[in-house]
Amino acid sequence: MLKYLLKRLVIGLITILIAFTLTFFLTRVAPGNPIRVLAGKESPNPEQIAYLTEYYGLDQPHHIQFVSYVRGLLQGDFGRSIVNNRPVTEIIRERILPTLILSLTAMIISTLLGTFLGLFAGKRAGSRLDRILCNISYVIDAIPSFWLSMMFIIFFAVRLGWFPTGGMYSFRETYTGMARVGDLVHHMFLPVSVLVIIQIPYYFRVSRASVRSILNEDFIKTLRAGGVLENRIYHKYVLRNAIIPVITAFSLSLSFVLAGAAMIEIVFAWPGMGRVIIDAVTKRDYAVLSGIYLMLSISVTFFMILSDVIYALVDPRIHLS
Amino acid sequence: MDAYLARAEQVLAQGKRRKELRLPRPFKVSLAILTFLAFIAVFGPHLAPYGVNEMTDALLVPPSPGHWFGTDDIGRDIFTMVLYGARTSLLVGIVAALISMFIGTSLGAVAGYYGGKLDRFLNELINIFLMLPTFFLIIMVVAIFGSSMGKVTLVIGLTSWMGTAKIMNAQTKSLKERTFVKAGKVLGENDRAVLFRYIVPHGIFPVLANVSQSISSAILFEASLSFLGLGDPNVMSWGQIIYLGKAYMGRGWWVAAFGGLAIVITMFAFHLLAEGLNQILQPQAGGR
Repeated sequence: MLKYLLKRLVIGLITILIAFTLTFFLTRVAPGNPIRVLAGKESPNPEQIAYLTEYYGLDQPHHIQFVSYVRGLLQGDFGRSIVNNRPVTEIIRERILPTLILSLTAMIISTLLGTFLGLFAGKRAGSRLDRILCNISYVIDAIPSFWLSMMFIIFFAVRLGWFPTGGMYSFRETYTGMARVGDLVHHMFLPVSVLVIIQIPYYFRVSRASVRSILNEDFIKTLRAGGVLENRIYHKYVLRNAIIPVITAFSLSLSFVLAGAAMIEIVFAWPGMGRVIIDAVTKRDYAVLSGIYLMLSISVTFFMILSDVIYALVDPRIHLS
Repeated sequence: MDAYLARAEQVLAQGKRRKELRLPRPFKVSLAILTFLAFIAVFGPHLAPYGVNEMTDALLVPPSPGHWFGTDDIGRDIFTMVLYGARTSLLVGIVAALISMFIGTSLGAVAGYYGGKLDRFLNELINIFLMLPTFFLIIMVVAIFGSSMGKVTLVIGLTSWMGTAKIMNAQTKSLKERTFVKAGKVLGENDRAVLFRYIVPHGIFPVLANVSQSISSAILFEASLSFLGLGDPNVMSWGQIIYLGKAYMGRGWWVAAFGGLAIVITMFAFHLLAEGLNQILQPQAGGR
C-alpha cells in the first residue's frame, strides 16, 4: 500500500512537472509580445518597454526564466497577470468560493439522485423502467452543458421569468441574513439544475453496474439458496457492496470540482473560475491561463491520488499494488 | 467480432431462427442517423435554401415556412447555417478521432508487443496524460496559437489517444499469445508484419467502439471552443451557431436552439454506434 502510494505520488509529481514545462514553453513561444500589449498601441514608450521587459524577467534566456519560474512556484507564486499585474493566486482565491458553492452543491445532489436511480434500475435490470432510464441517460450524455444552460435561461429565466438570467446575487437589492441566502439559492437554482442533470448519468451508470455485478455474485446466490429474504439480502449485503464504487466515483469527480462547471459558469455569468478562464482567453492573458492550468493539474493529480486511497480504505479487499 | 461470429455459427448449427442473429438495435438506429448526417455533410451546401452568409430581408424572424429555423438579426438563415455546419463538425470529429486512433493504436500495439520496460513506460505515460486537464490544455493551445480548423482538430486528436492506447495494449498482450500469431512468427514474418498484419487487424474491433466515442467528444470539444469564441471564424460550425445565439438569448431562442439540437442528435448517434458495436462484441451481456 505504502509502496503503491509512493509510486502514485512520484507519477503525480511527474505529471505536474510536465504540465508545468508545457505551460512554460507554450507561453514563451506564443506569438506576440505581452509587453507590447501592456505598453499600448498608440505611442509605445521604448523606456517603458525596456523597464517592463526587465521587470517581468523577459530579457533573461529561457533556461534562467524557467529556473526562476520553478523557484517562484515552490513559494506558491503562480505568476502574475500580464493585463493587471495581479498575482494569479489572488485572482483565483477570490473566485474559488463561488465555484465551490456551485459545484459541490451540484455534485452532492447528483450523487444522491444518480445513485438512487442507479440502484433502482440495477435491481430491475432489463425491465421496461430500466431501459427507459438508460435511454434517458444516453440522451443526456449527448447534450452540451453550455447549450442546455442557454436553453434553461431562455425558457425559465427569459420566457417564464421564474429565475434570474445570471449572476450570484441581485445587484439592486442589498439583502442581509436569510434573505441573502434566499437570493443566492434563487440565483443558484438554474446552474445547479443543469449541473445535476449533466452529472446524474455518471453516478447512475456506476451504481447500476455495481448493483448488477453484485447481484450476480456467488455469495448472493448462496444467501438466496439459504432462504434469506430478498429484501434482507438487498439491504444488508447488496447495498453495502454496491455503494463502494459510488464513493470512489465521487472522490474521483472531486478532481473536477474547480474546472468542471466552467462552461456553465460562463453562461450564467457566475463569478467563479469559469469567468477567470474566459477573461484570460479573451484578453490573451497567457500568464493567468497557464497559472490556472497549473493549479488545475495540481488539484486533479491530488484528488486522483486521494481517490485511490479512499478506494483502498472503504474496500478492505483491495490491495493496491 | 469473434464472439459475434462464434455465436452466429452456434445459432446456425442449432437451426434456430435467424432472428437471433439480427444486429443490435442501437447499431441499426445509429447507422440510419449517421447515413442521414453524412448525406447532409456532403450535399448540405447544395440543399441549403440560401447562401451561408446571404443576408435576407427577414430580420430575426422566428421559425416560419420561409425560414424553417428562423434568421438572425442581419437576416441570415439558421437552417442554412445548420446544413453548412454539419460538414465542419463531422469533419473535425472524424479527423480528430482518426488521429487519436492512429496514435493510440500504434503506441498501444508496439508497447504491448514488446512488453517489459517499454510497456511500463507507455502505461505511466497514459496515466500522466489522463491526469492532465485536457480541455484546458486545448483551450490554452488554441488561445495562444490561433484557431484555424486544422489546428483545433490536430490538438484534439493529440490529446485524446489514451483510451485507444489502453484498449489496443490489452488486446495486443492477449493476441500475441494466440496460435495464429505464433504461427506467423514461425513462418518467418518480421515483427512489423506480425504486429500490423496479424495483431492490429484482429484487435481493432473494440477500438472502433472507442473511436466512435472519441468522435462524439471531439465534436463537443469543437463546439465548446467555438462557444468560447475560440473557433475558426472563417468556417461555419454548430458551435459557432450557438456562439452566435448567445447574443439573442432574450429575443431569438431559435438561433442557439437548432445548432445545439444538431449537436445533440449527432453525439447521440455516435454514442449509440459505440453501444451497438459493444453489443455485437459481447452478445451475452444482453441488452443495456
